[in-house]
Parts: sequence; C-alpha cells; structure tokens
Amino acid sequence: MATELPPNGTPTSGGQAPMRDDLYTVLGLEPRASSEQVERAYRFCLELYGEAAIATYSLLEPAEAEEQRARVREAYQVLSDEQKRQAYDSAQGFLPPDSPVLPFPSPALAPGAPELPETLTGAELRKIREARGVSLRHIASVTKIGMRFLEYLEEDRFAFLPAPVYLRGFLQEYARLVGIDPRRTADAYMSRLAPHS
Amino acid sequence: MALSVSEVLPGLGTATTRRQIWSIGGGKGGIGKSLLAASIGWQLARMGRRVVLVDADLGGANLHTCLGLPAPARTLGDFIQRRVESIEEVLTDTQAPGLRVISGAADLLSAANIKHLQKLRVMNQVRALDVDVVLIDLGAGTSYNILDFFLLSDVSILAIVPEPTSIENGYRFIKSALYRRLRAIAPTDDVRALLDSALDPKNPQGIRTPAELIGRVESEDAEAGRTLRREIAAFQPRFVVNEVRDTADVAIGHQLVAACGRHLGLRASYAGFVHHDDAVWRAVRKRRLFMSDAPTSRAAEEIRQLTRGLVKGESLGHGY
Repeated sequence: MATELPPNGTPTSGGQAPMRDDLYTVLGLEPRASSEQVERAYRFCLELYGEAAIATYSLLEPAEAEEQRARVREAYQVLSDEQKRQAYDSAQGFLPPDSPVLPFPSPALAPGAPELPETLTGAELRKIREARGVSLRHIASVTKIGMRFLEYLEEDRFAFLPAPVYLRGFLQEYARLVGIDPRRTADAYMSRLAPHS
Repeated sequence: MALSVSEVLPGLGTATTRRQIWSIGGGKGGIGKSLLAASIGWQLARMGRRVVLVDADLGGANLHTCLGLPAPARTLGDFIQRRVESIEEVLTDTQAPGLRVISGAADLLSAANIKHLQKLRVMNQVRALDVDVVLIDLGAGTSYNILDFFLLSDVSILAIVPEPTSIENGYRFIKSALYRRLRAIAPTDDVRALLDSALDPKNPQGIRTPAELIGRVESEDAEAGRTLRREIAAFQPRFVVNEVRDTADVAIGHQLVAACGRHLGLRASYAGFVHHDDAVWRAVRKRRLFMSDAPTSRAAEEIRQLTRGLVKGESLGHGY
C-alpha cells in the first residue's frame, strides 16, 4: 500500500514505524532526492513534529512526537552526509541520487522562497529552478506541458510560445512546481511581453 | 468521490442529471465557511458555470448576507416543512448571473435535526437541480446530517484556520465522516461493532487511527479489510486554509496533508489558501461580497486561483 501513495502521504499506523521503513520514507522523500530536497524535507518534518506544531499536536502524544523527531534527525544525519548516504544507499540497494528528481512537497510560496523581481527573464527563471533542484523533465511530466515549450520559455523564444492566456497558465504551473509565487512569476515574465501584444 | 450516494444512504434515488456537488465543512464555526462558499460560488458563476449555493447551516444561516441579499422570503426550512413542494420554489437570484442561492432556515430551531426522510427529500431534489454545480455550505459540527452532505459530494472541501481549535475540529470532522462512510458499507456486524467502538478514543482495542482500524479488521477478515481500504482510498478531503497571515500559516496546509497521510492513512490534498484581508471584512460590513466589492484584493485573487484549482482537481505544492 505504501508504495502506491505519494511519499509525503505514506501511511503509517499511529506513532509506529511506516510500512516502507527506510530513512527516505521518514523524511517523505524518494530515494533519488537531491541534497537540497533532503534539506527541505528535514526542515519540513521538524516543523511537522515540532513541539509547537499545530498540525500534529492533537494527533500524537508528546512522546510520540518526540519519537518522530528522533527518527527525522536520525534520517537526516545519514542522508545529509554524502559518504554516509552512499554507504546507506548501496547497503539498501537504492540508486544513487541523480536526475530526474522528484521535488519534496515544495509549497507554492515555500518558506525560504526567493523574493521575485518585477521582471524575470527565462534565464533567471532557469537559475531559480535549478537552485531549487527541480528538473524540467519533472515539470513536463507533472504538468503535461511539452518539454519543448518549457525550453522555449527559459530561452525567451517568444515567437514559439503560445498565446498569452496559455502562457500565463504555463508560467503558473512552472512556478508552482518550482515553489515560487505563481502569479508574480507570471506577471514578472509577461511584463516583458506587454508592449508587443 | 467514488462512493455512490445510495450506498451511504440506502433509500436515496438515483439522480437523473449529472452535476457536481461540492460541499464545504470544517467542524468549527466562525472560520469563514459561508464566505468561502459564497466567493467560490461567485467565481464558479464568473467562469460560466450555473451554480446553486445551498445554505445547509441549518440554524445559523447567513449565506444570503454574505451575498448582499436581504433575508429571503423563502428558505430551505419552507421546503423541509413542506410549505412548498419543490426545491425550485426556494431558489433566490443573486446579482451575479448564473448564481442562485437556497437560503438556510435561520428561523427553524429544530432544523439542524431534520429527520432522515426529510434529509433524503432535500438530497434528492438538490441532486435533481438543473445546474452545473451545487455548492453546499455545511454548518459547524459533526452531526450526521452534515457528514452525509459532505460524503455525498464530488468535491469535499475542509476549511481550516491556522489555529489549534480549528485543526482539532478538522481532524475530528474527517474521522467522523470517514467512520460514518465505512459503517455504511461495513460487510459484517463484527466490523460494524468494531467501527462503532473505534470512534471512542478510549476504546478497549486501543484503535486510534483509521490505519490501525484497518489493520485490526484485516487480521480478522481479509476481504472486509480490502473493502474498507478501498473506501478509505476514495475518501479525499481537500483542505483550504483560510485567514493565513504568513508563509508559516500557508505551510500548515502541507503539514495537514502530510499528517493525514502519515498518521491517519488518508490521502488528503491541499486545495489552496486565502490570506486574512481587510478588504473582506470591509465588504462584509457593507453587506457586499469582496469578490465584487474588492476584485483586485489579495483574497479575491486567491479565491480565483483556488476555484480554478478545484475545478481542475489540482492541489498545491507537490506534483506526484
């Protein structure tokens, strides 16, 4: 059952061990997560089980929450250390981390999301995307936006891009998966188109 | 949701026309359910859908006020009390084309406890309305009437504000709705008895979560376990976090989804969030809806995004 659910939705029973009981699952990650995703997942899980966390305090006893925090810290200590992680991966038979990557539940407006400037070029968008560890292929597979359009978007090849109404939708989807403000992203990118349209 | 209404409530007829039923619940009162319902309905109508809003907050009805309407001549109470025969007769137009409303029965003290047959009559006629979306504003609480409306919906929205009491009530609402649904399809008396006892947090079996419940059922009756598992998988409440003030509040929606998955074994999703926005209460004081009173406000933009996402079945954040 665990394998067919999204990693962050892996069911466990009570405060007990998850069904797929590995360090990645503890952080809600796929085994090929990037180091950036490990960081984000760690921060997310610490908040999820923190003493002040209002999302879990009524579900877990204080001792259970502490147990979860301990598991999260233990998982992070291994997965955030390149050598320890390699040893763990090969012992468990996991593939080494490389693309395509699956981003950790990156909230639209993720904590730590960059402030966006008034205008954004395709190249700037690509920079933000890469810094946040999200591959174009992943965006394409989730949004069903063609890879080619995503590339045109980052290359500012306006002539090949669809009508503004669709372009805005593409940009918002793109931003959502990268974890930056969808509306502002679309506005900032499209502000450069305005004079021509 | 995949479960048909007749399974939840045997005796309910089959609707002839296909429309979507959306509902907004949340357990706690005063968290903006009515304003969310009014503004999402307003936006759906703007998107060209024919919408009927139903104020099922029987006893605490105020949806008409959210829409800037005077107290309506006829309410759902008139229909329930059979003062009118057809639910069409209690429909009221709003200023927005395509958006009509069925006002709640504020005058009817006993309305929150309508009887089973009355409820079936309401549900049957609601489902026979010739519209695209029926959007039901559920009241506070977890009474069977409220849970049944939530369960019969195609889109079940759970409103939360970033406060402990609201979240606690939200979980209680989810659990109550899920157990009511499971009970309706429980294949044996033994399973039903187990379900009844599981809702009590101090049950002797020590069952605390739906996941633990399934484990227990499975160990005794594998077939029944599979049946319940299918039902749980089909139960997918969508969180809306209302009145957020900062990014930490926004992140609570993701935490709720993760907590539901990890500790309740439920596949919830995060439909969106709406910021606390002074434009909203300024409009409320004028008895206008902020969607038309302050269309450029942050809250209005967020409602537009939220509604588009709900229509497409999208959720925020992860894209698995």
